[in-house]
This record gives sequence, structure tokens and C-alpha cells, in this order.
Amino acid sequence: MGQTVTEKILSRVVGRRVMAGEIIHPVPELVTCHDWYVVNFDKALEEFGVTKLFDPSRVLISTDHEPVAVTPQSSERQKKVREIVAKYGITQFYDVGRGGLGHMFPIEMGLIRPGMFVEAYDTHVTNYGAVGALAIAFVVEVSEILALGSVWMRVPETVRVNLDGKLQRGTSTRDVAQKLIADLGDELIDYSVVEFGGPGLAGIDISGRHTLCNIPLEIGAKSALVEPDEVTLAYLASRTKEPITPVKSDSDANFREVVEYDLSAIGPQVAMPPTPDNVHPIDRVLGTPIQHAFIGSCASGNLRDLADAAGILKNRRVHPGVRLYVTPATQEVAREAARTGLLEIFLAAGATMTQAGCGPCAGGRIGGMAEGETSINTGTRNDVRRLGASGDIYLASPLTVAASAVTGQITDPRSMLQEAVS
Amino acid sequence: MNWIYRGRCWKFGDNLGIDGAIMPLRFALSRETDPIVLRDFLMSEVDPEFPKKVNPGDIIVAGRRFGQGNPHIQGFLGIRGHRLGLVAESIPRGSFRNVINAGVPFLAPCLGVTSTCETGDDLEVDFSTGLMRNITRAQEHQFTPVEPELRDIIAVGGWKEHVKQRLAQSTG
Repeated sequence: MGQTVTEKILSRVVGRRVMAGEIIHPVPELVTCHDWYVVNFDKALEEFGVTKLFDPSRVLISTDHEPVAVTPQSSERQKKVREIVAKYGITQFYDVGRGGLGHMFPIEMGLIRPGMFVEAYDTHVTNYGAVGALAIAFVVEVSEILALGSVWMRVPETVRVNLDGKLQRGTSTRDVAQKLIADLGDELIDYSVVEFGGPGLAGIDISGRHTLCNIPLEIGAKSALVEPDEVTLAYLASRTKEPITPVKSDSDANFREVVEYDLSAIGPQVAMPPTPDNVHPIDRVLGTPIQHAFIGSCASGNLRDLADAAGILKNRRVHPGVRLYVTPATQEVAREAARTGLLEIFLAAGATMTQAGCGPCAGGRIGGMAEGETSINTGTRNDVRRLGASGDIYLASPLTVAASAVTGQITDPRSMLQEAVS
Repeated sequence: MNWIYRGRCWKFGDNLGIDGAIMPLRFALSRETDPIVLRDFLMSEVDPEFPKKVNPGDIIVAGRRFGQGNPHIQGFLGIRGHRLGLVAESIPRGSFRNVINAGVPFLAPCLGVTSTCETGDDLEVDFSTGLMRNITRAQEHQFTPVEPELRDIIAVGGWKEHVKQRLAQSTG
């Protein structure tokens, strides 16, 4: 029997042929952690009496959850993070202004390649699957990985999703990914890797692939990845000089399920409170008043997402009763947004730009909500208090969020695109 | 470690949330990890008397997706605090790791287990072999036990103790 991408990657890492279900201790090629857990892992390591990391050169730390310290406490925490990074000799440290969101800039920098195996603290590291890498989060057990180089894991099964067709005007991969998790359901997805392939992929850029690999986490996927193709190779060509060996699943690999998914059948989707998989066609919530809007996060903070939103906001103004925050996920996205004129569109529309990173999605410390307000945004989750105070949170595509920010109520972006055409 | 638990069955349904139903969320937010503190609040949002009614060796029999939600460990540390065993139809990934990390003997997935017993039944479960005996109903059910290497983590008392053991082995 053949192997899935996941089985192949893990077989290479452990040095023997492994199949789904086996318990292994693979040593990752990279371990990532963000600014909000560095002090915690340091404390855990001290409790264990650990003074040296297994391999500090494999560790990457990013300041993205609270890049701009706005309280004395966060300034102190940032200082501690810098001291801890120096103490352990961690060389891949991307402080504020250097990288941005840690699930994304390493892809831009060519640090993540097809077939690579990564472990992390934070669950959304699965974005690395956008270029065909396998990345898995272990939360607090990252301390064990840092100290000993590995932690146990079960080789996961794979749910293969074959994409076909083309995205409709006024929709994006965000709509696809949201609809997909609602359709597949947590029973099918739990503990699996969601692997994307099929002819529809050719029309989805790396930006859109970040989104596809980010959203399945919310219903219990262990990871997600996109089968590397011409789009992947073209993207990486200018970003890395390392040799690239695309890893693909064998035709006779054993999948938990194979799902065919037609991109052209999907319209705008909105995840209603209180869970990301409570997804419905936009018609159900049209006209819901909003006061808070946000475009960004590891799910939808790439250049394509910002360009989609700018396409709606050009020559329009954000509604007087709405504040719209736009957070480019990385320094590179911010720079490109400036270079290509997107920044000018956002600022002219009355949006507020924030520093590259997670933006409001990291607990609402930056640009959060007040009690009783309603938000529509492109963050990862819509649990109560995700953006600080309690209030309804709707999740949607950058197009839908931008259209809603203009009208002050949840709005189908296709209505505005048609206006632009006529 | 004694892998055989004998005690009363406490049966619960599907989709019990780790934050709330199994353990009040405030303990996850305050990062409380003492099993002795946490045991007094186990299942208290479902049945406030539960922590007073259970005895060591009793067995929680749960439905599908036991411990769903944001994978916090506090609920499983509460189970550990009472020295209870756990048999569940299924446990989502994040919580599956936390049951092991809390050092709780368990069996999962055990499809159909909730249809074999009721609260109050006298159960005996061997967590090393997967054999569950319902003494009240004179029935036996065989499930797949947790892999030996994962049982090793439970046997030493959970994640922290296991990491200490690995560190001792790597330096010794």
C-alpha cells in the first residue's frame, strides 16, 4: 500500500517506514513559539532543571501577539523574552518590526519548504502546509520538545479534499474554508491531516492556501497541507536556494475519506457566534448592524486578503458608526501593501492600520470590542470574549468584512462589485 | 501501577465540554493544576453533588467527544484527584493528550460503551487489557487498550513526571 504525504514526511524524519496509527517520536526540523508563551516555557524548563535546549538553532520565536507594548507589563514581558532568547542562544528571533506573524513570515522568507516537518506551541502553525510542509502544535508540551528534541505523536490519518472549479466573483478561499469545515464536521476531521489537491488548486495562490490550511484546526484537525504544485515551486523559486523535493501522496495511499469539492458552487459564508463552524450562507445574517470590523490574522492577513478588501474600499468610506482595523500579517505584507497603493486606499477610507502581527485577534488587546458591540472580522475564532468584551462576533471573508464596514451592517460584497462594474 | 479499577459507574452523555461541564472555566484561566483543589469542582456544573458522591476506583463512562473544546487539562486533573477511571466513546485530539498528561487511566475510543451500562452499575475495568466487566449485568466488553508507551506516561503520574524521567535517562 502507498503512503500519504504525511506518512512520507514522518517516515523520512524517523528514518523508517511508518503508517497512520503508529506512535512515534519524530525530531522536528523547526520548533516555533510566540511572544506570549516564551516566559512560560522558560519557567517550565527551570522547573525541570533544564539549562540547555536540545538544539537552539532549530527554534524560531516571533513577537506577534503583542508586537507594540502598550502597558508597562507588556514592556517588561518583551524585555524578559529578549533575555530568555539570549540565555538559550536562540538565533531565529524575530522581534517587533522584524518578521510579523510567526505562522506566515517564515513561509515568505523561504524558511519553510515542501516536505518539511515542524512542531510548535501555537495551533495555527498549520499555515506552513500552504507550501506542503507538515506542521503540528503541541501547546504546553513544546517545553518537552525544546528540552528533549521530541514528544510522542500518533501518525495521523488523512482526509483528502480534491478541489475543482473556480471561485465565484465576490468570494475567496475564506468562504471555501469556512464552508468546508461546516460540511465535513468534527467527527470526520478529528485527529486527521486535511490534504488539499485537485485541479481547482491551480487557481489558488499561496495567500489563499494559507487560509485553506488555517481553518480546519478549529474543528480538531491535527494539521492541514496543500499538495505542492507549479504554484508552490514558482512561489519558492525566488525565496530559497535550498533544493526542493515536492512530496505527494501515492495514488494507492489509504485516506480516511476522499472529498470532492466544487469551488464554483460556493457563495459568501459567515460563521455566526459562538463557534467557527457555525457557518451559514450570508443571506441569513444580511443587515445585522455592526460597530467593529477587522481584516487580518493568520487566517486572512495576507496581501491577497488586503487586496480583496481594498477592491471594495476604493473610493468608498467606512461607515461613521464603524471602526475598521486592518492588520497586515507580516512586515512584507505591510511593505507590499504600501508599495502597491493598498495602504492609501485603506487610509483614505478611514480604516486604522495596526502593526504587523495577529492584530485584534490575539485576545482583543489591540483594537478590541466593548460590551454589547457586534464585530465582523477575518480572525480565527468567534468565541465569546475573543476580542475582549462579550458581544457577537461574525467571521467572514475580507470582501464581506470590507463591504459590511462601508454600510455598517452585514453586507453581501457581490452587490458592491456589481456596482463597480456598471 | 494497579491498572484494574472496580467501582461505581457514573454515566454521562455526548459532547461534554472540558471548560464548563467537566471543570469550571475559571480554573483553566487561573492555571490551577493541583488535583486536590480541582477535584472538589469536577462535573460540578452538571451535578453540584458529584464531587461528594464519587469514590476512588469509580469509573466515568462518557459518550462521544468527551472533553471537547479548548484543550485545557484542569478537568482531567480533577478526575485524577479523585482517582477515577475513564471509559469514553471518543475523546478529541487535544483532550486525548491531556488525559494522558494528567495521568488518568482510560479507554477510548470505545464505540457503544454508553449503551452497555447505567449509573450505579458495579464495574471492573482493566485499563491495561481493555476488558470491562459489568458485574451488575454479568456482561463483559472488550475494548482496545491504550498503547503501552502511552500507558507508561500515565503510570509515572502524567506529563511532568514523564518528562523528568526522560531527562534523567538522557543525562544518566
